[in-house]
Amino acid sequence: MKLPKLRELLEAVKSLAHKPYTSKFPAQPHTPYPGFRGQPKYDQASCLGCLACEEVCPTEAIAHRDLTADGKPHRVMIHYTDTCIFCGSCEAACIADHRGIRLSADWELSFFDRAKESFETIEKDLAVCEVCGAVIACRDHLRWIAEKLGELAFSSPTLYQSRLRELGVVDPDVLEAARSFGRADRMKILCARCRRRTTLTTAAWPEGLPAGQEGGRGPA
Amino acid sequence: MPKSVISIGPYHPLQEEPELFQLTVEGETVVDIEVSVGYNHRGIEKLSERKTFDQATFVIERICGICSTSHPFAYTQAVEDIIPVEVPERAKYIRTIIAEGERIHSHLLWFGLAGHFLGYNTVYMWMWRLREEILDVMEILSGNRQNYAMFKPGGVRRDIKPDDIPLAIKKIDTIIPTVDRLRKAILDDPVLHARLKGIGILTKEEAIAYCALGPTSRASGVARDVRKDAPYAAYDRVDWNMIVGAKGDVWDKAVVRLLELYESIKIMKHCLLSIPGGEIDLNIKSIPPGEGIGAHEAPRGETFHYVRSDGTNRPARHKVRAPTFMNLPTLKATVPGSSIADAAIILAAIDPCYCCTERMAVRAPGGNKLYGGDELLRLSREKTAAIMKEA
Repeated sequence: MKLPKLRELLEAVKSLAHKPYTSKFPAQPHTPYPGFRGQPKYDQASCLGCLACEEVCPTEAIAHRDLTADGKPHRVMIHYTDTCIFCGSCEAACIADHRGIRLSADWELSFFDRAKESFETIEKDLAVCEVCGAVIACRDHLRWIAEKLGELAFSSPTLYQSRLRELGVVDPDVLEAARSFGRADRMKILCARCRRRTTLTTAAWPEGLPAGQEGGRGPA
Repeated sequence: MPKSVISIGPYHPLQEEPELFQLTVEGETVVDIEVSVGYNHRGIEKLSERKTFDQATFVIERICGICSTSHPFAYTQAVEDIIPVEVPERAKYIRTIIAEGERIHSHLLWFGLAGHFLGYNTVYMWMWRLREEILDVMEILSGNRQNYAMFKPGGVRRDIKPDDIPLAIKKIDTIIPTVDRLRKAILDDPVLHARLKGIGILTKEEAIAYCALGPTSRASGVARDVRKDAPYAAYDRVDWNMIVGAKGDVWDKAVVRLLELYESIKIMKHCLLSIPGGEIDLNIKSIPPGEGIGAHEAPRGETFHYVRSDGTNRPARHKVRAPTFMNLPTLKATVPGSSIADAAIILAAIDPCYCCTERMAVRAPGGNKLYGGDELLRLSREKTAAIMKEA
């Protein structure tokens, strides 16, 4: 009966000399262990804007808006910090070697104004169809696909022209050759629908026929 | 002696979660108990049918706030049972490490709460301080203190880095002397002996009849543990003992949990030291039509999941059976006959987890009439009207 009480008494006396176990958090910053899963952050340079992260996100914490109204079409990638559960699915699914979006060690995510501070965004340039103006994909994404495909990318004018323009190369021979065969309409950056159309037409897209309507077969 | 009913809950300071216990008492003695569930229903099974097999893991992880790995463990095993596939060896070890770390912190949390209920706040503070250490280990290994997001059908999401293992083992080693000290302090304490021994007895026959699970049944002498009976993950590659009690009172339940701490530390350390190399994920692309079951010995008992696939990328049906669902009815056997003061710790002794249990809510007609605000107002007005009529 006496012994256990003595042992605990000793423990109590020892704890007087100890400093408190709890940390002085707001006064002293807390550093998590390496490998801590904190808020995912986009990397402007590496992100391709491919939306793989949005597809896999289990809580729909990732969204995007395509803004084409002004002269510079761009895609806004949005990450909502309040909905995010820091699972790392986005990083695992990122096609840019898992570098486009990465979990950071940032865990202090409280904010005052939900409408203004609950998200982080980056902007990526969009490639739009030269005929109908529809969104194709992000410029970086098209370039990435063209590089992955290598010479196979030359089967798609949209892909190889995106790449050439990105590099600042204009190949007049290719354009002239295409024009001389009467297929200048294909030598453009086109959305999937317009590409299908131009492939089905046997001649140039007729002047004055509005794009994006059915029955677009031109004169032979 | 007149009987009266004491309601504990649905919202009560004794409980962290909403649940209604109605104790029928004669004086100080409890003669009957009624347990009503359904206050914490969140529709998780339906939610997981709306997510892909991969995404559903995160919803299921949030079924329970304490044993957040138990449910994904059982779920991923159920999904792997549909295909069926065997996960890589390294993934099995990682799964075992995470599950055992969770058992340690869950048992420590229970001890803290039990001490708190008994008025032993020193035990509460010690246990929760110790729990911080093990949560740190989990943060080192998985990147988070809770909701580890490690499990996925076909393996694990995240590898344990070889550099992290020595740090984790060092931390685990530092908690062993403290656990020893706590074990001595708890096992020697005459007050705890007096408070816990011989109350809330669940006999072996009753444990079998009520299908009790986990430490609740093992304390009654039912040697049943999924990890031993149907070994999965890396449990058959480690030498460990099943802790079985004898009497089934609250004391035995506490001792079983206390000694299970040591076994879990042993399993965790063994797995960390002998983890094999290789792949951690099978990268399952599609799930064929079919159905599968998965079971995992959670800290509170066997968690059981059933998943049916119709060939799409989402589960067609997902059923969850949590251990507390089986352990709650044992209160019918343990609480009657005890005093009201003992009822609190007997209720807590099964380590109930209501958010795991609540898979559906049924509104059954009948029972005692409950008056809402409108009805009370109506009664009051009727009485005024009656008095005015008389006057």
